[in-house]
Amino acid sequence: MRDAVMPLLRQRADPITVEVIGNSLAAIAEEMTVNLARTAHSTIVYEVQDFCTGLLDAEGRLVAQPGAGLPLFVGDLDAAVGDGLALYGPDGFAPGDVILTNHTGTCGQHLNNIVVYTPAFFEGKLIGFPATRAHWTDVGGRLAGGFLTDAETSFEEGIQLRTLKVYKHGAPDEELFRILRHNIRHPEASFGDLHAQIAACRMAERRLQELYARYGADIVGDAIATGWDQTERMVQAAIRTYPNGRYVAESFLDDDGVDLGRPVPIRVSVIVEDGSLTVDFSKMSPQVRGPINSGSAAGRSAARLALKYLVAPNVMANHGCFRPLKTILPEGTLISAREPAAMSWWQTPILTVIDTILLAMSKARPDRIPAGHYSDISAMLLTGWDSRTHRAYTNIEPVAGGWGARPHGDGPNATYTIGHGDTFNIPVEVLETRYPLHVERYALRCDSGGPGQYRGGLGLERIYRMLDNGMFNGLSERSKCLPWGLKNGLPGKSGSIALKRHGQVKLEHFQKITGLKLKRGDLLMFATGGGGGYGDPLTRPPERVAEDVRMGYVSIEKARQSYGVVIDPRTGVVDLTRTKALRSGSLRRNLVRKRPATTKATSRKRLN
Amino acid sequence: MAFNGTLRTAIDIGGTFTDLASYDVVTRSVRFEKALSTPAALDEGVLECFDKGSIDPAAMELFIHGSTVAINTIVQRTGARTALVTTAGFADVYEIGRANRPDTYNLFFEKPAPLVPATMRFSVRERVVPDGRVLVALKPTAIARVLKQIKAQNVQAVAVCLLHAYANPKHEAAIGRAIRRALPDVFVTLSHEILREYREYERTSTTVLNAYVGHQVSSYLRAIERPLRARSFNGRFLIMQSNGGVMTAKRAVQVPVAMMESGPAGGIIGAAELGKLIGEQDVIAFDMGGTTAKTCLIENGLPKMTDQYYIGGYRDGYPMRIPAVDIIEVGAGGGSIAWIDAGGALKVGPKSAGSSPGPVCYARGGIEPTVTDANLVTGRLNPTRFLGGEFDLDTAGAQAAIEERIGRPLHMKVLEAACGIIRIADARMSFAVRAITLQRGYDPRRFTMVAFGGAGPLHAMAIARELHIPRVIIPPQPGHFSALGMLLTDLRQDFVQTRVTDLTGLTAVQINEGFGSIEMQARASIAREGHAAEAVALLRSMDMRYLGQEYTVRVSVADDLSDPDTLAMLRQRFDVTYDLRYGHSSPEQPVQIVNFRVTAIGRVDKPDLASLQDKRIPVTSTSRERLVYFEGHGHLHCPVVQRAEIAEGSVIVGPAIIEEYASTTMLYPGDRALVNKYGCLVIETGGQ
Repeated sequence: MRDAVMPLLRQRADPITVEVIGNSLAAIAEEMTVNLARTAHSTIVYEVQDFCTGLLDAEGRLVAQPGAGLPLFVGDLDAAVGDGLALYGPDGFAPGDVILTNHTGTCGQHLNNIVVYTPAFFEGKLIGFPATRAHWTDVGGRLAGGFLTDAETSFEEGIQLRTLKVYKHGAPDEELFRILRHNIRHPEASFGDLHAQIAACRMAERRLQELYARYGADIVGDAIATGWDQTERMVQAAIRTYPNGRYVAESFLDDDGVDLGRPVPIRVSVIVEDGSLTVDFSKMSPQVRGPINSGSAAGRSAARLALKYLVAPNVMANHGCFRPLKTILPEGTLISAREPAAMSWWQTPILTVIDTILLAMSKARPDRIPAGHYSDISAMLLTGWDSRTHRAYTNIEPVAGGWGARPHGDGPNATYTIGHGDTFNIPVEVLETRYPLHVERYALRCDSGGPGQYRGGLGLERIYRMLDNGMFNGLSERSKCLPWGLKNGLPGKSGSIALKRHGQVKLEHFQKITGLKLKRGDLLMFATGGGGGYGDPLTRPPERVAEDVRMGYVSIEKARQSYGVVIDPRTGVVDLTRTKALRSGSLRRNLVRKRPATTKATSRKRLN
Repeated sequence: MAFNGTLRTAIDIGGTFTDLASYDVVTRSVRFEKALSTPAALDEGVLECFDKGSIDPAAMELFIHGSTVAINTIVQRTGARTALVTTAGFADVYEIGRANRPDTYNLFFEKPAPLVPATMRFSVRERVVPDGRVLVALKPTAIARVLKQIKAQNVQAVAVCLLHAYANPKHEAAIGRAIRRALPDVFVTLSHEILREYREYERTSTTVLNAYVGHQVSSYLRAIERPLRARSFNGRFLIMQSNGGVMTAKRAVQVPVAMMESGPAGGIIGAAELGKLIGEQDVIAFDMGGTTAKTCLIENGLPKMTDQYYIGGYRDGYPMRIPAVDIIEVGAGGGSIAWIDAGGALKVGPKSAGSSPGPVCYARGGIEPTVTDANLVTGRLNPTRFLGGEFDLDTAGAQAAIEERIGRPLHMKVLEAACGIIRIADARMSFAVRAITLQRGYDPRRFTMVAFGGAGPLHAMAIARELHIPRVIIPPQPGHFSALGMLLTDLRQDFVQTRVTDLTGLTAVQINEGFGSIEMQARASIAREGHAAEAVALLRSMDMRYLGQEYTVRVSVADDLSDPDTLAMLRQRFDVTYDLRYGHSSPEQPVQIVNFRVTAIGRVDKPDLASLQDKRIPVTSTSRERLVYFEGHGHLHCPVVQRAEIAEGSVIVGPAIIEEYASTTMLYPGDRALVNKYGCLVIETGGQ
């Protein structure tokens, strides 16, 4: 034994060793994310963090997944690796293999999300799989960059690559690479990202081998299992802080992009029972024609992500973390769609699914759940030719929005969705240097936060001027089922996309748009939604409302209409007498009548 | 420059103690003092150190100071009433930030509260584009309007950050001139004066930080300087910067943001200089105090730098883009508390018992077991010789706390539990060391660790073992090493200019031109510090990346690029650096330059470390041996040696304990320590 002061190795890991090995595994997964983010070749990976990394054991169970990367991807790498294990068998891997998959039937996400993993061996035995997922800028399909809002099958969206060994025994499969090279639009950029993914996995293989060499396979295995048990107990204990019961909630999306105007209901129920949590999706909308479906791996991941937010924010995502969670998810729903469902915008409904689970749980512990957030990727995909650099460009960019007010405070302004995490916006100065775009305005959006005793966070406005011709795909959701308030708080505003053609005065508005041709000088205007309010807005102290007006968060008109606070436009001072009169009189009756009673789609008529 | 004094004095203010190191160039001797820090009025602790050590300011040729005043102003939010001026349409950039959620799964996450609220943010109609062209000219009427708004707000400071001002600062400069003329008492910071790098949020945040702390820092520096000058201090007053160099107090008043992390940098520079002295160019600096441990990698004698960090922590702190010594800090120190989480796992830190109530063994009301308690219970610390015997430690109390709160719930004996606490603290610190080595592609086996801070020497050997670091150096006076390190620093300023350019097709002449204007600026700035031009060295580097990437890798650039081969070499050096960092490279792919960088270093005469021997009278020991409990070995008889009593050339073989004032070095079985001619303990790690 190397170290004289180390305890004699036993077959079982002592509590200290469990902790040390657990930290080491977390550090390895963390190191993978750092390497991948820093070496990736597209903004969507390194700024938007549209990627994840993780370590899985030889049976494909999640050992460690760091907090960085996209939360949307929490705990669904096991599906991708599971498909490899099923196809090749546990003995079907060799050192130096690299497996790639984006199969919608396996991963349940849009085809741009490419999982790359490698088998790790120690003393000739398979010990696990380091795995990564990264968003490739292009995977073929009808239009550059994907993100079609009108696709009806996955065939329009790109090439399906189901569990392929792109490297065998360390050597690239040239034939596969030939297929890839001629089926995707920017192979150099995507291969750059592929190499970054492979390098991250290889590094993790080496680190795992070092760890196994130091402690031995038995001890590491035991430490992993014990770590899972500890995590499971923590999660169970946290679930027990919610009262047992069945909690139901419902919301809906505007439409699926194909059957325009037909709402898509999101129905969940959550059952809490003695430290276990069941998310029942049986009443979820059936799968739809348009590209907002996702597969069951994604549906399960939505439940897992909700669990993280509810009870395990500081717990490492691993197999044990999700053991207390049961998911009831029949096949063929919006989030368990069958092939060849289109999935370009798979992530948009997932956000509302998570928020709806939280809404259900607000009935169990109203003190712990904020009001609804803007819940919309508000993403833009802009492609074109940059005549300054003579290069094609692709800019994919989600836009941040407002978060719901909390039981004891206002909602945060302009922050990425619940499906994003440590995701960064693209700085204006970087954007203008990189792409033929000019940003005219980037500002908080006045009056977008839902009124309440605590106000919802504000969304954003971002205006781009085209410096060259280009093409645009975009999607804005939740214009009907607005980000909800809680405890008589009012909803936040929804987002919008508008176009002002060069030389025109009129604005064109879009909810879902694909392949829109833009010309030099056109203005593309984004507004994102705000968060819902918490508590009755008529109880917000008038001075707080006046402060919001001074800050430009709330307009004088809105202060009067929604908060019943009358402010002198010249001095900014509250007129207390008129405020009192307004708050106790007509406005109260008005507000109560206007307050949306439900987030249910069924209460609304089909629009067209 | 002629100074009459013979003393060079440095003062480092830490969380608990204010440390002084004073070097006499004539007698070549050094004196150390310690006083309790006085967070409410930091200058009091400083002056107390002078009085305690009877240091005569009139005898000082040089006074170097590192202080937490700037960072405290932010953390306590006691800065100036500050306004911000931006390009019209972008006044909210400062509040929006990067829209990210570092505290990812917390539904109640908080964004950093803006130091300038929306009501104090004003904008002007103007626009510059990335290549520096003016798209919309700034009109005098716009300046007049914003001036009026600022006046109405009765502000003490103004930050100005306009879009793409790094490429063309004309508009910022015009606004700056107008405000300075109209409001001479207002502290004005223009973004391009602080940094000429793109990314508007980070630049705005850095500019605001500077404006916000300006007043506090100036009055603090005046409060320190005035009594010293009154006592006839006639020498130079220098301030430690986050970048590991010093600047004049005059410059610190202009760019106070550069002294934000002024404290810990001194020890890192000390470790680098000590390494050079004894022929160790590649060093892991390890500094462990009461609440945190800090570590930094030094390669070829140069500490690694970072371009950005977050004041107040990553989760909800303010980004600052100023080069700083790249220190990784973990919440593991002597006072870190051991606890069991809901899943039954043993954790140590980041919560600390601090100095009040302190560890259980201080018997000042602490009830939660700490790392210090575990060290005491296992025999690593001497209960009767703590801080040179200033007070006794309560071993029984520490034992009871560990047993009750850790041992019993985990079904472990008290000694095993104590060893477990130490091991977890060691593991956490070794992860920090791993983060600066393995995670960045450096093999710790080729580095030497320099360990200091009160608790550093006690834990260094375990960390060295964990990471296979072959050699550990414990300098003399490890508890005062940060102050000592400040005596070893040069003047330093860093300059950057963003200019995104493809490398292909560039000529050496163009690259030289790219550096030319920055170097001119650098020379002028150092000259303003009153430093002779001939003693200034300019170091060039570039941030480069593969086309399509965002993150860059820094490559140093030769002064003379006239040789055509140098361009090819530059390219090659980028590929090699990239490969070292990430384990792969793409030599066939086009490369872009993003930033041109120049570091100006004004050499300062420094004391000879070789002469920095401890002149304190040795403390006589109370015992020559005690029992220390080791995991896997049980109790071992350990010789206990007083450091002041061991002469050059002495060899001590582990297990052993070496005690001195305010620090204890722990040798594990197999470790072998040699006292070198500089009084350092040079320890070969055993059991490798």
